[in-house]
Amino acid sequence: MQKITLFEIYKIFFLIGIQLLGGGYVILPLLQKYLVEERKWLTEEELIDYFAVSQCIPGIIAGNIAMFSGYKARKSLGALTAILGLITPSFFAIIILANILINFTDNIYVQKAFWGIRISVIVLILITVKEMWSKSVNSKFTYILFFIILLLLILLPVSPAIIIIISALTALLYSKIGEKKNA
Amino acid sequence: MLKLYFLLYYEFFKIGIFAIGGGYATLPFLYFLQSKYNWFSLDELTNMIAVSNITPGPIGINMATYTGYTTAGILGSVITTTAIITAPFITAVIIMKLINKFKSCREINYIFKGLRPASCALLISIGLKLLYQTITFTKEDWSFPVQFDYHAIILFIILILPFSFMKKRPLLVILAGAIFGIILK
Repeated sequence: MQKITLFEIYKIFFLIGIQLLGGGYVILPLLQKYLVEERKWLTEEELIDYFAVSQCIPGIIAGNIAMFSGYKARKSLGALTAILGLITPSFFAIIILANILINFTDNIYVQKAFWGIRISVIVLILITVKEMWSKSVNSKFTYILFFIILLLLILLPVSPAIIIIISALTALLYSKIGEKKNA
Repeated sequence: MLKLYFLLYYEFFKIGIFAIGGGYATLPFLYFLQSKYNWFSLDELTNMIAVSNITPGPIGINMATYTGYTTAGILGSVITTTAIITAPFITAVIIMKLINKFKSCREINYIFKGLRPASCALLISIGLKLLYQTITFTKEDWSFPVQFDYHAIILFIILILPFSFMKKRPLLVILAGAIFGIILK
């Protein structure tokens, strides 16, 4: 296979970045089209593997898949190029939008609209939880863990990082104990 | 100023490590940053979430860019954006070197059993706090309500009822919120 240039990687992920609207999962069909079908940099199976692993490691899913795909093409430099390409369009979009917003914050209609959007955001958060629920909280152990953490969060100002570490360790410990019992 | 840049990098590097899953996983961290440093107001945080939803690109990274920009201008946004992808970049490179071993790692699956309910609890607690603050006009977490914002309660019901039955459509929810906001408030 001909060597893929870094510029080409940047270009493709820049294009994908522009089209990435509405959450990370949208990157899958885009990669399918650009990388698997049109350019054949990846196979279907590789893409599915990357997706599975992306969910289990730190970072945002779309960014992780992009870095895996970039790595496949040109190792570490390819991964770096892919993520930079992916975030360039949104970086500038955000800066421009932030500037526009600053100029309109005194406008009464903009203020009213953002008052409403604040409630939209609350609704979006709750809907996100609803969609995660059946895959997340579905056994005695997960129910107990969920309610203990929720109680902890409502009563104390705990850092999310601490919550993540504690629940990871608890789950690991719980599973190890279960394994021993069954053995 | 230098200290602020350093702090920004440090905090967003941490978010890059601990925010596992979709873009919304970064939300609890931003909310925590808000209460810890006051780099931006709660209202600004809500605006950031809305703007990140309607701009192309991964939501979590968008929120990092926006937060950095609000806190410390262009340089701030470069710092937070770089910081949030540092740890994932290192992890991605390491994982690609051992991808076949990683796929069958049982411990990782165990850990995820605990992380998912934790993410649910983190997000719900933020949703509830924001809701409580909005409908009671308070800025404190759980201060005793003096009065209620009935318009906010009505709008919440208008939005949550239809949208909880369909697939998530962030753009539509935000648009509806903006329109009803102008009509109701």
